[in-house]
Formats: sequence, C-alpha cells, structure tokens
Amino acid sequence: MKNLLLTLAAILYSGMVFAQKDSLSFDERDKYIYYKLVDQPGANADTLYNRGLYFLTAAYPKKTLALSKSDKAAYSLTAAGSYMVSKKGLVSNSDGGSLSYTLKIEVKDSKYRFWLTDFVYQPYQRNRYGSSEPVPGGDVPLEKASAKLSRVDFNVCLDQVLVNSKQVGDKLKLYMLKVSSLVKKQEPKKVNKISTKDW
Amino acid sequence: MKKVFLLFSFFSIAAFTVKAQDTVKTTSDAPLVIYGSVDTYYKYDFSDKGSQIPTSFASDHNSVSIGMIDLGLKKKVGKAAFVGELSFGPRGQAQSIPNGPNGDSFHIQNLYVSYDLTDKLNLTGGYMATFIGYEVISPVGNFNYSTSYLFTNGPFQNPGVKLTYAFSDKVSLMAGIFNDTWNNYTSTKKVNTFGSQLFVSPVKGWTAYLNLATGSTSGTEVDLTTAYQITDAFKLGLNGATYSAPHDGGGFSGVALYPQLAVSKTVTLGLRGEYFKTKKGDLLTLGPPPGQNVKAFTFTANIKSGPLTFIPEIRLDHGSSTSFLNHSGDPSKSAGQFAVAAVYAF
Repeated sequence: MKNLLLTLAAILYSGMVFAQKDSLSFDERDKYIYYKLVDQPGANADTLYNRGLYFLTAAYPKKTLALSKSDKAAYSLTAAGSYMVSKKGLVSNSDGGSLSYTLKIEVKDSKYRFWLTDFVYQPYQRNRYGSSEPVPGGDVPLEKASAKLSRVDFNVCLDQVLVNSKQVGDKLKLYMLKVSSLVKKQEPKKVNKISTKDW
Repeated sequence: MKKVFLLFSFFSIAAFTVKAQDTVKTTSDAPLVIYGSVDTYYKYDFSDKGSQIPTSFASDHNSVSIGMIDLGLKKKVGKAAFVGELSFGPRGQAQSIPNGPNGDSFHIQNLYVSYDLTDKLNLTGGYMATFIGYEVISPVGNFNYSTSYLFTNGPFQNPGVKLTYAFSDKVSLMAGIFNDTWNNYTSTKKVNTFGSQLFVSPVKGWTAYLNLATGSTSGTEVDLTTAYQITDAFKLGLNGATYSAPHDGGGFSGVALYPQLAVSKTVTLGLRGEYFKTKKGDLLTLGPPPGQNVKAFTFTANIKSGPLTFIPEIRLDHGSSTSFLNHSGDPSKSAGQFAVAAVYAF
C-alpha cells in the first residue's frame, strides 16, 4: 500500500512538472502562436525598445535570428528566425527539416509583449551524397504540416517549436532585464602568468 | 533506505526528463548521425525466360531477393564534415560497385570529407556518388525500384576533388577534377576527368542541374536533371543525357520523364517514360545494340507507412530490335516485368 502511494505521488509529481510547461496557442488567423506579455516596472518604452533591438542584433547569429523591421515610432520590432528540427531516428535523431518563424516585439512603458508565429516547416531529404537538403517546394505552414508528417514526427516537431519558442522568449527576457544591453566592452582577458625567473 | 533511494531516483529521472526536453541544439556542430536503409524485392518477368530488362537492380527473376543494407555515418564540426557510407548486399556490391583486385569489395557508396572554405565556397574530396543523372544507387533516393537505361549506363560514382560555390540558394556552380574512370576506387593512370554542375532554381519548387563529365578515358556525358513540384500533389521530373565514348566509340542518348501524383498522404503514383537510343560504335551498352533504341514505361506506386515504403511496379519495354525473348522463347521486341519491393529507411 505504501509503495502504491509512493508510486502515485511520484507519477503526480512528474505530471505536475509537465503541466508547468508552456503551450502553443492559435491566434485570430488560426496560426500557431507563442505569446507572452511581460510586466517590467520601472523600465520606460525607450529603454525596452533599445534592449529589444540589441537582443535582435546580438543574441543570435544572423542565420538563426535576424532583425527584419524596426519601427521606433510604434515601439515595434520584427525579426525572422529559423532552426533545425530533428526527426526520430532508430539510433540517433536526424535532420527532419527546418522551422522558420516571425518574432514580433512590442514595448510600452513598464511592459512589453512578444510573440512567435508564422511557423513554416521545410522538410529535408537525404541526397545522393548522404547530406540533408531541403525538399524543393516542400515547405508548408506548421498548421498544415500534419498532412506531410507522420503523427509521431509532427508531435516531435510541435514539441521542438514550443521548446525553441520558450528558449527564445527566456533569452529575450534576460536581455530586457539587463541594466544596459548596449554593446559590452571587451575587457582584455587577464592571464595569470607564472614567473620562472624568481623563486 | 533502498526504497528511499529508488524513490529519489524516480523523482530525479522524472525531473530530468522534463529538463532534457527544454534544450534544442541550434549550433552548427551536429551530432554523429547514423543513417541508411534496407531493401528487398520480388520480381517476375512476364515471359518467364529469366531477367530480361537490363535494370541495374531488381535483377533476379521469380525470386525473393535482397537489395542491400546501407549504413552511413556523418558528422559536421564547425566547417569540417565527413560522410562514410557502406553497403552490403548485391545492390551495393557486384551490381553497382566493382570488386577489388582480390575479388573482394569495399562496399563504399560515399566516403569523403568536406570543408567550408567560406560561407559560400565548399571543398570536397573523396569517393562520391556521381553528380550526373536523376536516379541513384540508394533505393531511398529513387521513386521507381527498377532503374532507367540512362542511370544504368551512366556513372554511379566519381572519385575526385570538387569546389562548389553557392552564389545564392538559387544558383550554385561546382567544378572538379575526377579520376580517369567511373566507379573505381582508384584511377587507372590519371586524374583527368573534368566535372562540372550548374544548379539553378528558377522558381520555388523547381530545381535544375546541368552536368558535364568529360575525360579522354571516360568519355563525355552531358546531362540535364530537373524536377518541378508544380502543385502540392503533382511533381514532374525530367532527365536528358547524351554520352560519347572516347575515340568515337559510340555512346547513347536518352530522355526520361517522371510525372508523379500524390493521391493521399501515404500513396503516390508515378510513371517513368523513357526513350533510350544507342549510337553506332563499339560501345555495348546495357540496352539495345548500337544504333538501336528502346522505349520503357514503368508504372510505380509508393505506399508509405512511416519509414517503410512498399513499391509495386509494372514495367513494359519495347525496342527497335529483337533484344528480348517472348514466352515461347522466340526473339521479341518487347518485354515486361512486375516487381514489388519494400524499402526501410532510417
């Protein structure tokens, strides 16, 4: 009985941890969206805008996330991002495809919001050289990707979209919290040198 | 104590399972990837006079036979990458790769290293699948299970060194120097086959490759390989090539069309219509005699269930000369076959 209770407690615990995960939603266009509204008391819109701008230019390589539009008057930033999603393999996961998305950041005094949407799945195929390459004309909005992927691969893909969106969001939050997100001065690395002359 | 330890372990595993899902690797240093396939088939030649249609693989008449197990390893760290792909079985050995000097076979499909000299320029060297043609050795890369005359008579692999420059994701140019003969692990004497490939993607979903391989020992082949995903369901491919053996020794020309229609998420129907003509000369192709031609029509279905693809196929060939035997054993201009294959890719 005791063992049973302990087992149930353990299952409930793991269930609770899962329940704390974020989730993707649908927006008014019936597109997948990862949306967050964040309060940041004490930070004015200009500061948040500059920090958001710095995030989009410095946080990721341009191939991964690149600023596509900035509108200071509207306190709005737009970026285009992409990353690889893997496919369940027998031994190891392989490149299933890439996922591109749009990231939008809007700021006001003491708060900002951001969302990732317009996810497009580009399936990959193995070419004659054993390399992975995009399937020509194979890109499909994530909302329709279930028609091209197996159920397992589609669910893996959705999981990875969520995890990546959360990662991008968490990183953005860190940049927005920084007192100064301006370019860091590279301080020369201090190297401790040992003198062999005196001993 | 044991129970407490077990319980602690369970909680830890549960928590770390969730934690482990919270990372997505986005760096360019990909892990070691293991990939490959296995394939098996049954084929029946309608005239019951053995295997008549000279397809590279699916060669055994009235037999449940195997293709190959193909095992590949690849990894990229920073700018450097390698691919090593070995195959075992008739498709990967005697049917496609020559044996070594002692009768052994190295079973190599791809063995090369590559390095990104810049973001746009890549250097690759080793033993690589040929850049020529529409079809490939791996059953995963082909829609039809039997192979075209153009594939069967063209190169399978070209060892050499090549540079590829990507002007954009729509245009790239490859140029390289390859061994003097096709499909051999070593050159017979020289590394003097020049190879080049111009890739263009004029519109979304349309890719075209214009290929050239020319050398004093291997001859000259000019090849166009193109495919256009016209709608979500309909794809049209085309392969045209002409080959001239050295010293006016003959050759071949041909064209093959590959219309394919996805009728559901798991079923795609396709036709390969090919016209293949041999040039007059000494070269004996795997096909009609010099100066003759053959038309081949292959109706194929791909029925997918996850990584497994069933490939039923009917093929009818009709030549200008009596290259085949009919059911009575008399010479015939026509031959037909049925094949069903299963290909598992991983």
